[in-house]
Amino acid sequence: MAGPLEFAPAIAALPFVSFVIALFFGRYMPKKGALAGITATGGSLLLAVWTYFAVMGNGEPHTEHLHTLVSVAEPFSLELGILIDQLSALMLLIVTLISFLVFVFSLGYMNDEGETGLPRYYAGLSLFSFSMLSFVMASNLFMAFMFFELVGLCSYLLIGFWFREDAPPSAAKKAFIVTRFGDYFFLIGVVGILATFGTSAFIGTGGTESFPALAEHALTGSADHVHTFGFDPQTWFTILALLVLGGVMGKSAQFPLHTWLPDAMEGPTPVSALIHAATMVAAGVYLVARMYGFYALSPTALAIIAFVGGFTALFAATMGVVKREIKQVLAYSTISQYGYMMLALGAGGYVAGVFHLTTHAVFKALLFLGAGAVIVAMHHDEDMWKMGGLKNELPVTYYTFLAGSLALAGIIPFSGFWSKDEVLYEALRLGLNDPVFMAAYAMGLIAVFFTGFYTFRMVFLTFHGEPRTNIAESPHQYGWNMKAPLVVLGALAVVVGLINMAPLAKLTGMDLTYLHHWFEHGGELLTVEHYHHLLTEVSGVHHVESSTGLMLGSGALSLGLALAGVAVAHVLYNVPSPEEHTDKLGSIKTVLFNNYYQDEYQVWLAEGLTANVARAANTFDQGVIDGAVNGVSSVSLFAGERVRKVQTGVVTNYAALLTAGLVVLLVAMGLLGGWF
Amino acid sequence: MLIELLIAVCLLGAVGVFLLPDRYAPRLSFGISVVAIAVSLYMFSAFDGAGNALLEGGKLAFETNAHWLSLGPYDLSWHVGLDGISMPLIVLSTILTSLAILSAWTPINERKSQFYGLMLLLEGSLIGVFGALDFFVWFIFWEAVLVPMYFLIGVWGGPRRKYAAIKFFVYTNVASLVMFVGFFLLVMGAGVTSLGLPELAQQLATGSVSSVGGLSPQQVKVAAFFAMFAGFAVKVPVVPVHTWLPDAHVEAPTPVSVILAGVLLKMGTYALLRFNFTLLPEVAADFALVLVAIAVVSVIYGALLALAQQDLKRIVAYSSVSSMGYVILGLVAFNLYGLGGATFQMISHGLISGLLFLCVGVIYNTTHTRMVGDMSGLADRMPITAGAMVAGSFAYMGLPLMSGFVAEFMVFSGGFSATFPHAQLLTAIAMFGIVIVAGYYLFAMQRTLFGSFRVATDYEITRAQPHDIAPLVVLIVLIIALGSAPELIFGMIQDAVTPMTELTHTQHAAMGSMELRDVVSTIGGVVR
Repeated sequence: MAGPLEFAPAIAALPFVSFVIALFFGRYMPKKGALAGITATGGSLLLAVWTYFAVMGNGEPHTEHLHTLVSVAEPFSLELGILIDQLSALMLLIVTLISFLVFVFSLGYMNDEGETGLPRYYAGLSLFSFSMLSFVMASNLFMAFMFFELVGLCSYLLIGFWFREDAPPSAAKKAFIVTRFGDYFFLIGVVGILATFGTSAFIGTGGTESFPALAEHALTGSADHVHTFGFDPQTWFTILALLVLGGVMGKSAQFPLHTWLPDAMEGPTPVSALIHAATMVAAGVYLVARMYGFYALSPTALAIIAFVGGFTALFAATMGVVKREIKQVLAYSTISQYGYMMLALGAGGYVAGVFHLTTHAVFKALLFLGAGAVIVAMHHDEDMWKMGGLKNELPVTYYTFLAGSLALAGIIPFSGFWSKDEVLYEALRLGLNDPVFMAAYAMGLIAVFFTGFYTFRMVFLTFHGEPRTNIAESPHQYGWNMKAPLVVLGALAVVVGLINMAPLAKLTGMDLTYLHHWFEHGGELLTVEHYHHLLTEVSGVHHVESSTGLMLGSGALSLGLALAGVAVAHVLYNVPSPEEHTDKLGSIKTVLFNNYYQDEYQVWLAEGLTANVARAANTFDQGVIDGAVNGVSSVSLFAGERVRKVQTGVVTNYAALLTAGLVVLLVAMGLLGGWF
Repeated sequence: MLIELLIAVCLLGAVGVFLLPDRYAPRLSFGISVVAIAVSLYMFSAFDGAGNALLEGGKLAFETNAHWLSLGPYDLSWHVGLDGISMPLIVLSTILTSLAILSAWTPINERKSQFYGLMLLLEGSLIGVFGALDFFVWFIFWEAVLVPMYFLIGVWGGPRRKYAAIKFFVYTNVASLVMFVGFFLLVMGAGVTSLGLPELAQQLATGSVSSVGGLSPQQVKVAAFFAMFAGFAVKVPVVPVHTWLPDAHVEAPTPVSVILAGVLLKMGTYALLRFNFTLLPEVAADFALVLVAIAVVSVIYGALLALAQQDLKRIVAYSSVSSMGYVILGLVAFNLYGLGGATFQMISHGLISGLLFLCVGVIYNTTHTRMVGDMSGLADRMPITAGAMVAGSFAYMGLPLMSGFVAEFMVFSGGFSATFPHAQLLTAIAMFGIVIVAGYYLFAMQRTLFGSFRVATDYEITRAQPHDIAPLVVLIVLIIALGSAPELIFGMIQDAVTPMTELTHTQHAAMGSMELRDVVSTIGGVVR
């Protein structure tokens, strides 16, 4: 195996070192741990680039056993290992890049703003990078679950960073509980997969097979060594796939477990950019891609993924339309965009899903960091209605933010256009054969219009028109450490779509689908061809034949809708003094503003229902169970007076009691033993 | 002779501490407990046992087996020795006692020599319980544990200490009596003259059980199983015999709560493992559904009760009921991950609940309240304690790389693959505990540690002393160590529980409909 891959574990280990440094020595350091984090994630980024090129040259996936947690002969050991293939190498690149830029940005956002508790902040951020990178490299589902939980911890700690206020700890709690609810199903899934296959490996090594491969064998003939607990294999695998999907829906904020993400915006904005937009939220989608060989075996699971994804894309986009705070718009946009990725994966578009994950990571991190810059400029006011006209004062932020917005809205030739177009195209090709996928496609398509609208409503309200407050007239300026990450991401948001220009390739006949080719290599069972084989041959999922006309028509349709959304936003909000047109929606606005009352019923479930059941249980416990205990003892052993006598506190009484107890026992022993 | 040495260190140390004036007691008792840790760690490193203490092929470490006296028809032996199940429990006992003694330095201000002497007496008795392999010896230590515990709650406890202490004492003593009757029923049925547990296990594994009184052999086994189960269930405790626990915890001084939750509860699960599940595995398999129902109810009901509490100690106390439910689930699963995970959970829960009780203790020493509603924003003034409490809470929630995750994952894996009916569904229901536990610990942390600083009681918030903080740090390190390298102890645990899993090969698979009938006829037989 080539040299660079030997260093792969260091990609995760470096941030761990910086976690330890920031935690224990951060307060003695000049930038309170930021420099350690920058150095570590910078090093990880270089190693990830190196790894990426090594994988490119090599083709074969790199696996390595790291640590055995629990070693048993039967039924299965619990092991940690790494798997570097095309997918994880790409994801490592994304995570290390965004991590590095967020650390740099934090210098401006946190240090320069005079925040306290910075060692804790940088320790949390470093621990997150470590956990996320370990998750990405995980060679088996058990290990993936472990680090899936750890990124949840980091999310909790960082959302609640400003713990002295009331809202952040509450939001942190909500985020953890909602995702934990999803992880409950995920955990059953992990336990179930291990019990079913005896392994949770993503890739076969040294004579053992991966669990997707075993599942495939079970469906195509020999079901040896696979325990399906009395179920038909197809049914059982669907159940397992859906259980794991619970965790995916929690982390990737899919309906109905999306409610934590908007609240998570209480955390510092760089955290929102890194964790709640580009990487941790992507963990769910990444997991589906990672075990795609398993999901591809279950048409039911795929349909559910696609439908939930399409629905979430539309549902969240409509809520983004009415929000006042810039980060709230971005939060709902994030939920919506992850819906697209799920739609793609559910519709058999493996490459499309990962492609959108990649472009979204870049442009959404950019938008969040841009929003962070605006928030600093506005002295930590996030209300867009107090902004306006910032483009002249903050040109760097404006142009980079615009690049990100064009990408998000899906305007050609920005990156989001290419990936979103491919997502919708894959869904359409399947939808023409299957009405469920057609419905999912239709929802995704309508969401394109809303995306264009809310994105440019945000841009116009923030940067265009007249300044609406004094602060907006003379915003706070900030340094290179915030501008540099914006410029890097801004440039990437323009060009990253070029890695897979399917429509252009179709039109010109040139070979432009680099990402597609990227996934044609790697482990035999981890390639896009193999997934295609599973979809068509095992699951019977068939796309209609790809044709130039269909592809261009689909692209033109989504681009037209996006432009229409932008145009409506332009008419309504790109004026010197925009009005709150949302009021015209009447009761619909109220519903949207309250997020379809999703929070209300979930809070009721958690606090109204569960807390009341708990109180009832407590009353029952105190009254009936403990009451019975006290009743029995007061009747038989310590009736009235005697209780008081026993409680006099005279030591001899206790001694007598103890002796009596032992005597009773000895007599009993004697009687039973037949000594008398 | 090392077990005897360990017990002697504790008991002689206790006598010394009793006799010396108060001012020497804290440091002297701590010194003695550190010696005990050193001895137990040496034993841990020199451990050369193999297999299960009770079963064929078991090789005991540090064994002594000497005839002691004859009582009626029975030969009693001083028989002590360790296998991979008891060894980690002994190390847990010595470490937790030492940390509890350290944590008592701040809150315990009166009758110190008696307090610390009783703590060492408790430690010696606990080591005896885990080391003894003869029923008589074991029972003496088992009962001896109650005495110091009774006084520690009744003298140094809170306002309702007398009630709590008597409730604890009577409840567990009645349970001991029931268990005792059950055990002797089994001894008579097996027809052994030795009260050694290995001898009894051999007899039950190879020979047949004869009828006793009006009970058929099968009824003898079932009656013995349930009498012993009832006795140990109180100690664990499982629903519905758990109500002594929250009262005892709330009234006990915090260092005593640490031992109570950390080690005393494990006496119950350890005894279940040693007696019920090793001696009568076929009865356990027959009644698996009943037992697993008790486990599931304990997990969910205990967690719901924890959710309803306002007193931090009661929250931790009820969550222990929930966690012990996982131990029962693992035992009933009766496969490697079930039994091994249950044993691992005993150790893990000892460390984690100890950590949380210590945190509550530090908070109480400073604020003089434990009520969730009386405080908020403590993280601002007590950052290290708050950090430790966050760590402890997440450990309790089963965060990976901490010991609770490994323990629970193994128990769940064991439960999922178990052979009793609906094993997958019942395990999945029990697993919902991981959601509720997140609910109450996150809620408690949010209310007490975060938000703006406020304490209802009128005390100055002072920095915690190093001797208050040190135990927290030690426990966090141990929890992370066991969570990231479980093999530190799981190797020996695995070695000791594997022979048990082989017992199931000879079991008959009678399930379901015969259970109720059997219970009824057994009760009928006992009544006659």
